[in-house]
Amino acid sequence: MLASWVWGLCGGLLIGSAAALYLLVNGRVMGMSGILGGLVDGSGWGTWAERAAFVAGVVAVPGLLALAFGGATHLTGNWLVIVLGGLLVGVGTRVSNGCTSGHGVCGISRLSLRGIVATVFYVLAGGITVAVLRHGFGVI
Amino acid sequence: MRRTGFAALAGAIFGAGLWVSGMTDTLKVQGWLDVFGQWDATLAFVMSGAIVPMAVAWRVAARMYHPVLGGPFPEPPRPEVGPKLVIGAVLFGMGWALAGLCPGPALASATYGGLGGLVFLLAMVAGMVAAPALSRRIETLTSRRSAMEIRALTPDYAVSPQIDPSDLPALKAAGYTTIIDNRPDGEIPTPLQAEAMKAAAEALGLTFVINPVLPGAMTAENVAVQEQAVAGATGPVFTYCASGNRSAIVWMLMNAGKLPVDEMIANTARFGYNHAPLRGLIEAAAEQG
Repeated sequence: MLASWVWGLCGGLLIGSAAALYLLVNGRVMGMSGILGGLVDGSGWGTWAERAAFVAGVVAVPGLLALAFGGATHLTGNWLVIVLGGLLVGVGTRVSNGCTSGHGVCGISRLSLRGIVATVFYVLAGGITVAVLRHGFGVI
Repeated sequence: MRRTGFAALAGAIFGAGLWVSGMTDTLKVQGWLDVFGQWDATLAFVMSGAIVPMAVAWRVAARMYHPVLGGPFPEPPRPEVGPKLVIGAVLFGMGWALAGLCPGPALASATYGGLGGLVFLLAMVAGMVAAPALSRRIETLTSRRSAMEIRALTPDYAVSPQIDPSDLPALKAAGYTTIIDNRPDGEIPTPLQAEAMKAAAEALGLTFVINPVLPGAMTAENVAVQEQAVAGATGPVFTYCASGNRSAIVWMLMNAGKLPVDEMIANTARFGYNHAPLRGLIEAAAEQG
């Protein structure tokens, strides 16, 4: 059984390679919230095929891997937490124009001030949320 | 077609990376955020592993003329850190911590995340659809009052700090017929960028010229474009940048050799600009004609 960090590092290299491919071949920043957001709010319909193809790849391959080797999300069963979490992730990533892949991977790697600032704030907000809701209230 | 194929390939590798790294497991994500509990370092390894190839890719991109499939590369990173960026990031961080999912893993686990995962995806999409309205609200609430000030260096040429579309009617009323934007879009909040200003100015029948001057890197072309716009104007010209400083320097270079240097330095000093250190530059420009 390989250590969790080895899997993490290998997976990270794959994620970074995907972002590199998308930049060098397609000329685009690989930001999941931007790719999906442009499809659902209509702002990216001019490039819908490219976006839809990317989303299809993201859904299909882990789906097949999970089918073959198993996969579990261990998502909470608390519906309020799920819905609130989804809404906040959707609104927040579009208002700040990026998520973990866009601001985090693509932004930090080019030393973008916006990417670094956004990452600091979403990690801080996430850390405080877990601290308060897990250790304060025992909700998550 | 090839564009679509490579997008699918990138998505497939990204998805594989999310599965391999364990990032579709919400316990690992929440475990990384949980510094007061059983801290799980995995996410830090994922991030580091992802940033390395991407950092190389940005350097390679800088040496390529265009992406392999053509078209432009993404614009250079914007320096603008505004309230939207911070507010959005905080909301996202809270949601990320609540469920342990961000957009990539949420999609990657769509087929095996159960009903809860699908409900999360639906809520996320709903949030994305609602986001533009919140963005506009934040922009309206936080946009500062305009800094416009008509600093007329001559009756036919004024400089000013950044203006906004609501200033344009006053400029028209004051007799200005041409507006020149000397500020690069990269340093301007979106609603005040060149295209928006141009549309608003042209709607009022004003001529709008975009002539971005990089701070400390004014080019001969900047001066030539400005000269041409002024020569072609049917009335007084109003120019702006962040503080009016660059617009004033372009004016001095346009008039190098035509107006005495001392007079020009004294002129812009009336509005608080200190252009005495530029004396050598202007004299050199005057000699070159």
